[in-house]
Amino acid sequence: MPDRLQQAITVLQTRFGSAAPRPSAPPCPARPSGIAELDALTGIGGWPVGRLSLLSGTRGSGKRTLAQRSLAAATREGIAAYIDLPGRLDPEFLSRLEAQLDRLLIVRPRSLREAMASVRVLARAGVDFIVIDLPRKETAGLDSELPHLLHRMDEAECTVVLIDTPSRALPARGREMRMETDDAIRYYASLIVSLQRSAWVFGTDGDLKGLQVDATVVKNRLAAPGRRASWMVPYPVA
Amino acid sequence: MIACVRTPHPSLVAAWLRSPELRRRPLVLGGYVNDRGLVGAASSQARAQGVRIGMSLNQAQQFAPDAVFEPIDEEGTARVSQLLLSTLHHLSPDVAAGDAPGCAFLKLDRLTLRWPDQSMLITTLADTVKQALSVRPAIGIGGSMFVSKLASEQAKPGSPVIVDAARTREYLATFSIDVLPLDADLHEYLELLGLRTIARLQTISRPAFRRQFGIKALDVYDLAFGIDRRSWRPFSPPVRIEASEPLEPPIDNLEALQFIARALAERVSIALRTHGLGARSMRITLAQESAPAVLIQMRFAYPVSTTGELFDGVRPRLLRATISAPLERITLRAGRLEPAYVRQPGLLVRRDGCTESIADAVARLQEEYGPTLVQRAEVHPEAAPLPDHRILWRPA
Repeated sequence: MPDRLQQAITVLQTRFGSAAPRPSAPPCPARPSGIAELDALTGIGGWPVGRLSLLSGTRGSGKRTLAQRSLAAATREGIAAYIDLPGRLDPEFLSRLEAQLDRLLIVRPRSLREAMASVRVLARAGVDFIVIDLPRKETAGLDSELPHLLHRMDEAECTVVLIDTPSRALPARGREMRMETDDAIRYYASLIVSLQRSAWVFGTDGDLKGLQVDATVVKNRLAAPGRRASWMVPYPVA
Repeated sequence: MIACVRTPHPSLVAAWLRSPELRRRPLVLGGYVNDRGLVGAASSQARAQGVRIGMSLNQAQQFAPDAVFEPIDEEGTARVSQLLLSTLHHLSPDVAAGDAPGCAFLKLDRLTLRWPDQSMLITTLADTVKQALSVRPAIGIGGSMFVSKLASEQAKPGSPVIVDAARTREYLATFSIDVLPLDADLHEYLELLGLRTIARLQTISRPAFRRQFGIKALDVYDLAFGIDRRSWRPFSPPVRIEASEPLEPPIDNLEALQFIARALAERVSIALRTHGLGARSMRITLAQESAPAVLIQMRFAYPVSTTGELFDGVRPRLLRATISAPLERITLRAGRLEPAYVRQPGLLVRRDGCTESIADAVARLQEEYGPTLVQRAEVHPEAAPLPDHRILWRPA
């Protein structure tokens, strides 16, 4: 920085205090997601390290497929964990995505409390990347757990990605219960990527090859929000 | 045969281990120069300048003005003493502590099967102690504890003194009667009779000695021939370490309970570190007033020894314990004790100890929530088409 500019900033700081211009915060480190389009969309080159990110979308929008691709990429770099609350993880699908299964810990908790305790312990122990697959219902108590979780993640430089279905996409009966949790997640997440399926993609032989997703960055504390992108998410070949 | 392994005073060894630069300077332990106190231990350089154990620190300072004066590290001293015994215990279980500080006895009968060559055995002994304590011991070998101790006092580090069983009588004959454990009366009697050396004592017959000095003095007579009738008190490393505290009046306040538990964890930790051990398991017993005691068991993935690690395991379990009546006593018992150093190789093998800590975290989660909480999956695509056959789930 030139001396004259530095002098000017010092004068402004003396006059205006915290309102004076100051150097921007250092960029947040990012962990590549394994999907070039998604890395570009986040604005920082991947999932933010030490922060909470949210992959949100309705059923069949490809959020779990995207998260599992990121997980596969993370297992090739270090140790990763998948918190499988709904009990839906298919290791065979992951192995087709070239995930290193020996570096993947699959946590199958019986309750949200167990899940959050596991995330905290594993983050502190040095797991680099954790995906939390939330159930559609029974998320009560998550709002009080998230601040502790954020603190631990920040300390341990662990990346956590939540997979969640927004409450508006749920049937009216379970929606009320989820509203508070949704608000808490949206408040604490540094990055929210909303996904929507625009079309199924079929091959020439009529087999399902993947899906076309429209992604929007709804919230981004680390780069400009509002970016949109559309790309095809291929299903791995058996 | 019995070997007497003698190192410098454990306080000196503890000070050298803490600050290796002190090895090159005269060192006097017992307090700082201006303290009122007595010399508890002195290095050979300080002793060469006239410093003796038991003299005042002021006097010691006049003899050795360039010496370093330091207080005795009691915990470190105890740790070094235990380390010497446990190091020898790794070689053979027939180990006993000597009366003098830094002195330990080791029966060699079992070891000669492994090291038939005696010089190799002595070298191994010396190297093992050197590795553990960073000092080379003086080793004396004889047919009894008494003879081997005398031999070790004559031995120098690197040049052991070995007294054959057949030569014991001649070897002892050269010593004055001062080396025998005589009380003042007996010493005076022997001097009056002109028996100032063991050689002269050996000329008297056993019945004559018994008639003159009584049956109690026969132990001393036997020692003059190398027969040591003292019982062998073998050293055995602790199997468990326990710390307990009565709660008077009985308490039902978790805050206070945590505070006491932490103090107990600290006590257990000090005992563990003194022995160079780590605990793989811990049992908390909460004795309740007019209700059955609450037992809480926990395991650690690797031997832990620090207060923080122990309390990290204890605290969450205390908070979750179902306590139905005020507590009268709390007891922490560390079990499955293992050498604490086993943690180190794991830390050295991996780049940053990350794998070890993840394994520990997984073990803790599994212990708390069941073995199926954290799993790993193996995929066998060539197996039968049923998912249960293709995907093998096993606890991580």
